Amino acid sequence: MNKAGLLYLVFGSVAAALMGFTVPEIAAAFRQAAGRAGTDASRRRSAHFWEAAARNAWILGALGSALNFTIALGSDSGGISGISGRMVQSLVVMLYGLVLAVVCLIPAMKLAEAGTPAGPAAQGTQAAPARRPAGLVASGRVLGYVLFAATVAATILFLMGGQARGGPLPLNKVLLHGPAILVVFGGAVALALFAGRGVGARALTLGFAMTGVIALLMGLIQALFGFAHTNIKEISSAIAFIITAAAFALLGLVAVAAPLEDREIMDGRRDKAGPFSRLFWVVFPLLTFICLVLTFIMVVTPMTKPGG
Amino acid sequence: MNSPRQTVRDVDEMLRKALADDLPADVAEGMRVRIDRFRAKRTEDGEAAGGATAWPWFFRRTVWAALSILMLIAGILLQGAKSPSPLADRIASIKAAGSGVEQIRR
Repeated sequence: MNKAGLLYLVFGSVAAALMGFTVPEIAAAFRQAAGRAGTDASRRRSAHFWEAAARNAWILGALGSALNFTIALGSDSGGISGISGRMVQSLVVMLYGLVLAVVCLIPAMKLAEAGTPAGPAAQGTQAAPARRPAGLVASGRVLGYVLFAATVAATILFLMGGQARGGPLPLNKVLLHGPAILVVFGGAVALALFAGRGVGARALTLGFAMTGVIALLMGLIQALFGFAHTNIKEISSAIAFIITAAAFALLGLVAVAAPLEDREIMDGRRDKAGPFSRLFWVVFPLLTFICLVLTFIMVVTPMTKPGG
Repeated sequence: MNSPRQTVRDVDEMLRKALADDLPADVAEGMRVRIDRFRAKRTEDGEAAGGATAWPWFFRRTVWAALSILMLIAGILLQGAKSPSPLADRIASIKAAGSGVEQIRR
């Protein structure tokens, strides 16, 4: 059992909820999931909260796996078998994320069913979203971001603290592969700008997810070229690129794009999340998982004729 | 039941009758000043929205677009040039160690 991964997921999910929702909205979603009555509009908002919680758990699971994977690669204890074991164990965080996502989807489906216009709930109760004091929203979001940063930092420090002394690389060197960060943030901002202001936060979701997909594909192709040229340096550079790009694209999705989309929906500026956003939220973490597995295979596959 | 067009005509007629006499000069002057002030404010707002705020926004947008594309190109070029990275070096050493183990086994 990966206790650090489990704690990271629980606290990370709480932080992600606070980044996108206010405390009264979260409390209302819990009350309605427990069977409390509400208007159609409030039920729909609560259904969106639970859907967002499932999405956050899924994305955080993938992000936790990518971070854990990077730290496992940076460690030096146990030789190749020890590193392989830790890399496989890091994928367990994704499994926890999937389980938590399924748990959160149950109230989302229940409330969405009851909140549809044809449902048994009272008709004609469309209400404008409740006006929230700006200070309350801002303080909740700040608290969410602080908790999220603290959760990620504490998890990384805990994982690195468990490695052999002198083994792991320094934190910044393990997590920061410059080219991948430049591609993810440059591409995401460029795509969001070209999508325009009218698209709102969906542009950022599109930006981070599409740039992440492109970066994963770039890294995979480069790694395959490395195998073709039997060049360990090229393969290693590609693997570092894949892991870092996946981690930062997921970070952008869960910490920047998703909370902004949540706020748009809860403020009544949009009816629901965009279909492309939903697609990216499901597909990109899955692609990350597949790429991490491929990365693991690439790392442990021996090369009999090292070149470079 | 009156049609909407008939209702509008009735309201027009009622206003014409109610305001048949000229307004007192001071009231007319006060209204004119107020209307001029309102028009001036509208014009200023329009200019501000069309000029003063649009250009900085356009400038900021262009700068951000240029910066982001530069970042993207720099990232792709650095990756293509296989720039040194501690993580990549670490992975290379793990792979080399794994290959060494495999060769010893053989």
